[in-house]
Amino acid sequence: MPESVRGTRALRLGVCGPVGTGKSSLIGLLCRELADRLSLAVITNDIYTDEDARMLRAAGVLAPERIRAVETGACPHTAIRDDITANLLAVEDLELDFDPVELILVESGGDNLTATFSPALVDTQIFVLDVAGGGDVVRKGGPGISRADLLVINKTDLAEHVDVDVPRMVREGLAERDHRPVIALSRKNPDSIQALKAWVLTQVDSFAAGALVPQDPGPMAPHGHGDATDAQDREGHHQHQNVPAGDR
Amino acid sequence: MSSELTSPEHPSPGITELLLMLLADARLPTSGHTQSGGLEPALRDGLDPSRLVEYCRTRLATVTLTEAATAVVCRHRALAGQGTDDVELAWAARTPSDAQRAASRAMGRAYRRLARHLWPDAAVLGELEAVRHPSRPRALGLVAAAGGLSGGQLVRLVGYDDVQTVVSASLKLSPGDPMKAAGWVLGLREDIESMVPRCADLVDPHLIPALSAPLMEAWAQDHAATTRRLFSA
Ligand SMILES: Nc1nc2c(ncn2[C@@H]2O[C@H](COP(=O)(O)OP(=O)(O)O)[C@@H](O)[C@H]2O)c(=O)[nH]1
Ligand SMILES: [Mg+2]
Repeated sequence: MPESVRGTRALRLGVCGPVGTGKSSLIGLLCRELADRLSLAVITNDIYTDEDARMLRAAGVLAPERIRAVETGACPHTAIRDDITANLLAVEDLELDFDPVELILVESGGDNLTATFSPALVDTQIFVLDVAGGGDVVRKGGPGISRADLLVINKTDLAEHVDVDVPRMVREGLAERDHRPVIALSRKNPDSIQALKAWVLTQVDSFAAGALVPQDPGPMAPHGHGDATDAQDREGHHQHQNVPAGDR
Repeated sequence: MSSELTSPEHPSPGITELLLMLLADARLPTSGHTQSGGLEPALRDGLDPSRLVEYCRTRLATVTLTEAATAVVCRHRALAGQGTDDVELAWAARTPSDAQRAASRAMGRAYRRLARHLWPDAAVLGELEAVRHPSRPRALGLVAAAGGLSGGQLVRLVGYDDVQTVVSASLKLSPGDPMKAAGWVLGLREDIESMVPRCADLVDPHLIPALSAPLMEAWAQDHAATTRRLFSA
């Protein structure tokens, strides 16, 4: 029974994807682009340090006290999926401390292709890949690539150095995702940054209007590689929609 | 042994046993995976991993006993329809490390979040809503009251959970055979059980044991200030 979440609290946007694909940088970009029009806060789930949080604080794009690191006990998947408590407590604290907060960005301590956020933690989520990971990563699928609300293919400025055909990667992404949105991003390409910003603002508006329904990209992908497995997984999960915890 | 006050719901012994299992299960969504029971800073400061069992035993005899006693008194108060503010104060006075208090209160919030879902109508949990950051033993004591756990069961829960938290974290922090780790937990059963006669019947917050463990407190303080950690406490 999907239910929309209403704009009575901050919109929670999750950013996941493998390490090094540019999640922290993307969050930094969004802070820079949006901090003058929205009240923002950031939660990072670093694995062993608070490096991400410190990097973002050092970037000077947001007041440092609005950026908090959550420890995950070496269980970054658990912290965004099967026991989201520590992240939810951080969300609550930020909302209380900086009331009103309009957008909370949550960065997962990503380590591979299989982790996605529980819809009880975030209202909408971005899965980040980069061209340096190879042009065929998109075809490998998985819940984040196939069903995150937005797929970002990052660092397109590097494509020529790693022999990746970006338009083709985007095409394959769209096909893999049943035409859910894909954005080819580079921090060196202002148009791409505008496209990302526009997508986020659409989510903010949709949330404020009570029209946003958190979608579950689905559980960890099975480790099979055949197309049959992927198709099965898609069949089995693309309808799943959970209701966020509305109990705060 | 304990006064075994029954809860308003009068659950059967089988049902309370199931509840005890649920609450002691690491898969419970209460952020247990973020905790090491103080072990991470202890190892960082040079605690010999081969002394893990002694470390657990020391906790059971000190901070964990204080925690269990606090939980028991809160349970008693809740069943008697009385408040627990002064019990929380008694616990805080016996927990001098602000890092330890903060860690406990984060866990208390986690249990409150769960309790709301499990017992949405339990009057005894109402008090938790009035407090911004209830300590873990306070939240657990009220949960025990709502779910019908006895004082003895509550003490075992606190003791077992503490040991399991430390031992499980040790597998992430230092090399170890998980099978042996399970053996350590079982090996501490007498230590856990010996807490029951010491505190399962307590009703007076003044009688909560004040057993501080200064080295663990110092470790907890250090940990809160470091930037390299896997576990929040
Ligand atoms: N060339 C290029 N490098 C980028 C871009 N975005 C991020 N990076 C770099 O990619 C590396 C990893 O980025 P980071 O945001 O820390 O990744 P995370 O681990 O996913 O959070 C850093 O060295 C960034 O500077 C981009 O658009 N172009
Ligand atoms: Mg990062």
